[in-house]
Amino acid sequence: MRDTDSSARKPTYLRLLTVAAVGALALTACGDDGGGVAGGNGNDNGNDNGEESGEPQQGGQLTAILDSAFAGDWSTGLDPATSNSVGANLGQNAAIFGGLFLLEPEEDGEGAELVPNQAESAEWSEDGLTLAVTLREGIEFTDGTPMDADAVVWNWIRAISSGSTATVNVNFDLEREAPELDDEWLDSLFDALPDDVDEDVIMSRLGAIQAVDDRTVEIHLSSPNAALLNGFPGTNLNYIGSPTAYEELGGEEFSRLPVGAGPFIITSNQQNERLELERNDNYYQDDLPYLDALNFQSVGGDQVAYQTIQAGQGDVVEGLSDVNLIEEADRNPDLNVHLGAPTSPYVVQLNARTEPFDDKRAREAIYYATDFDAINEGLFDGQGDMSQSFTASGGLFHHAEVPGYREYDLERATELVEEIGGLEVELSTTDLSTARQVTTALQTQWQEAGIDVTINSAGLGDIITKFVSGEWESILQTAGAWDPAAGIGVNVRFGSTVPYSGAPLPEGASSAEEAQAEGLETELDQLLDAAASTIDEDERQELYEEISQYISDEAYAPFGPAFSPAQVVRDGIYGPGLTEPIPALAVNQQVLYDRVWIDQE
Amino acid sequence: MTSTADAQVTSPRSKKHGSFLGRTAGSPLLRLIIRRVLLAVPLLLAVSLLVFILLEAMPGDPARNQAGMDATEDQVEAVRRSMGLDRPAPERYITWLFGFLRGDLGVSSVSGRPVAELLAERLPVTLELVGLAFVLSVVLALPVALLAARKPGGIVDRLIMVFSMTLLAIPNFVMALLLVLVFAVTLQMLPAIGYVPVQVSLVDNLRSVTLPVLALAIPMACFYARFLRGDLGEQLLGAGYIDTARAKGAGIWRILWLHAFRNSSFGLLTLVGLNIGALVGGTVIIEQIFAMPGMGMLMLQGVISLDLAIVQSCVFIFAAVAIFANLFVDIMYAVLDPRIRYGSH
Repeated sequence: MRDTDSSARKPTYLRLLTVAAVGALALTACGDDGGGVAGGNGNDNGNDNGEESGEPQQGGQLTAILDSAFAGDWSTGLDPATSNSVGANLGQNAAIFGGLFLLEPEEDGEGAELVPNQAESAEWSEDGLTLAVTLREGIEFTDGTPMDADAVVWNWIRAISSGSTATVNVNFDLEREAPELDDEWLDSLFDALPDDVDEDVIMSRLGAIQAVDDRTVEIHLSSPNAALLNGFPGTNLNYIGSPTAYEELGGEEFSRLPVGAGPFIITSNQQNERLELERNDNYYQDDLPYLDALNFQSVGGDQVAYQTIQAGQGDVVEGLSDVNLIEEADRNPDLNVHLGAPTSPYVVQLNARTEPFDDKRAREAIYYATDFDAINEGLFDGQGDMSQSFTASGGLFHHAEVPGYREYDLERATELVEEIGGLEVELSTTDLSTARQVTTALQTQWQEAGIDVTINSAGLGDIITKFVSGEWESILQTAGAWDPAAGIGVNVRFGSTVPYSGAPLPEGASSAEEAQAEGLETELDQLLDAAASTIDEDERQELYEEISQYISDEAYAPFGPAFSPAQVVRDGIYGPGLTEPIPALAVNQQVLYDRVWIDQE
Repeated sequence: MTSTADAQVTSPRSKKHGSFLGRTAGSPLLRLIIRRVLLAVPLLLAVSLLVFILLEAMPGDPARNQAGMDATEDQVEAVRRSMGLDRPAPERYITWLFGFLRGDLGVSSVSGRPVAELLAERLPVTLELVGLAFVLSVVLALPVALLAARKPGGIVDRLIMVFSMTLLAIPNFVMALLLVLVFAVTLQMLPAIGYVPVQVSLVDNLRSVTLPVLALAIPMACFYARFLRGDLGEQLLGAGYIDTARAKGAGIWRILWLHAFRNSSFGLLTLVGLNIGALVGGTVIIEQIFAMPGMGMLMLQGVISLDLAIVQSCVFIFAAVAIFANLFVDIMYAVLDPRIRYGSH
């Protein structure tokens, strides 16, 4: 069984297709955290377009404008165990809960690294089957109770057992005996779990996730999973709430006004509309947060978000993706635009399981007929980060070029189309303006090579139905994640038994279900498994290069430009994730609001 | 207190009919109201069924949507069961209908909260927007139409007609963005987004709803003004009672207000009634643009997340508002015009 982190949800998917922000900083991916992470987060000053911003200052109130279709949607609540939008609500979660780990810009500003935050360290065992997470000493929830190993176990069991799609999906070692546990603690846990939960399953999970001392929790796996740790900030395991507060408030109220140990405390929550928080004076980092108050305001779309910041009702627009608005914001002397580090390139997935793309020559013809450089120039002013594989410059294991990648060659495309006796293709995409523009450009290019193209622009629901039914020929997507094994990474797009993949089924299998039941795998599946199952970074780099090569050689999907949405920030506001880019874990970058500050002068 | 026996003694009609319907049969207006209300019931049932069928036909799988893109089939099926979507559609419709009659509108599949509770929170916002927009559109339309009709073909009339046609041609979401650009971004007089409840501050409440109300009311006002001006103008050109009034020495304002407008009010009433539905529907976009926590926004969020319980209830309520608005117009006809009352009798 493949291990996949399931932090991605449909809103993420929706946004992946929407993302079309201008530009990408040429950040070189760097990852050296496979053997564990240790240390602390620095209180580095932000910088504004490379200029020094001075010493951080205390005080002030900041309002962040979020898109109601993505980060501004917390309709499933803010309890990490039951929320389905943990990966989209990164800012809110970091503000309320802090987070055990954070993705931070590296000191040289040229990459990102996973660093412990409320955790002090994380250490993999040599066999990669045990991850030991040690907490910092003395952290308290905002209700005054300790954030200790028991609280973490309580949260993690809830996180993986409450039905949230924002949790991890790894192979826990369920054969281990659960330790002796306090009855009162067990009652508290079971009271916080769904009514229909299987007690035996929970007890076996308590064997796989154990507190070994007051500050250390171990996760035991039956097979290694390198993405578990790298994917942490985008999953509900990262955000620890107070068990005592849950017991006092009850599930519904805790979901509305959760209690964590983060830099801010919720003062008001109008679900999906506005979240207001004030400074936590007992935050574990003495000088932080800098802000006195933080608000999240949800608005409907980029245009409204931009007008809101112009009208002075907001200070930051997170994740602006409209190219024209980004350019306008860039010209506005009161605003600064900071582009993120992209991890998700456009990709045309070809369904190699059915006609016409079960013929490799048809897939090759699409490669040769596709000129993503021209699309990048024409539609995005050449500011996209061109990619030949499943990740981009902001992601781990990025390799800009794949040897032998089939680049635009109209003559060769025409020859191949003639050789196979013509090619009729349905190109699907979601009914969003940027996606439609790209598909129209692709249609024009492909038709020049003699390919007859029909565009099917449909709602997201239709596209998902098409994917799941397998009745599709080609679909324009964006694909990628900071760690390719996490979220909507390469496995989701190219694993043979995943519903959103067009890669061929394993030999001898007539369906994905049959392949899973009989344990059949393709060569690509084995490579994907191997890359996700080792914690050796060098080995993963080699394997992902091999995977890129395999996808390219088999012509499964031509890749295009990658974009990351922009952060639009009022002048005089600084901080990581705003003025210092942090690669997107899947779609949006996380703003570390505890270190965001406002120039008071 | 009058007993049934007393009533039977004192009312000869009740002896004849012996029922509530019979007792009220003597009032044509009441008979009309009862008949219209009774007709509204099957209409509402038909609407609820149609909405249910449309939602069933809507593309996408709510269970998969809820479970997430990379959920396993088992997870999706578990979510489907928890949402009740594994049951046959007719059974789900009947369950919803009986629940609705009991005031139980189901539970939002996204937030897990009772739909009735969500609607109760949001209905006041939408009612305030619609109510104010309704009043404002009529209040704006009347003087403008009278002013234009005062001298048909004159410069004021032409300017008003051109201006109103221009505003009418602008879709309400564009109008909303333009209003924000002018009054919030450029002049910084009014907030661009957000809603302040009246309990917090009446002034801030009015400031927060001004732009959305204007965005809803302006196109309606233009529509009403153009209609009213046309109707008034026609009467001024050749109606006998207008000529009579003129011959008796009545001034133009008196003629317009007392003679022509009275006659036009029936047509205006029809238009206003028909447009209540459009006004309510307009809140879906306007509330989204202005981040107003009303029913329109709730419905849009429900559509995006395929939250069927939310969408079903919101659409039903919107339809019910439209039906009852038209019912009200019918009743007003009867109140204003005895011919309709007695015609119905």
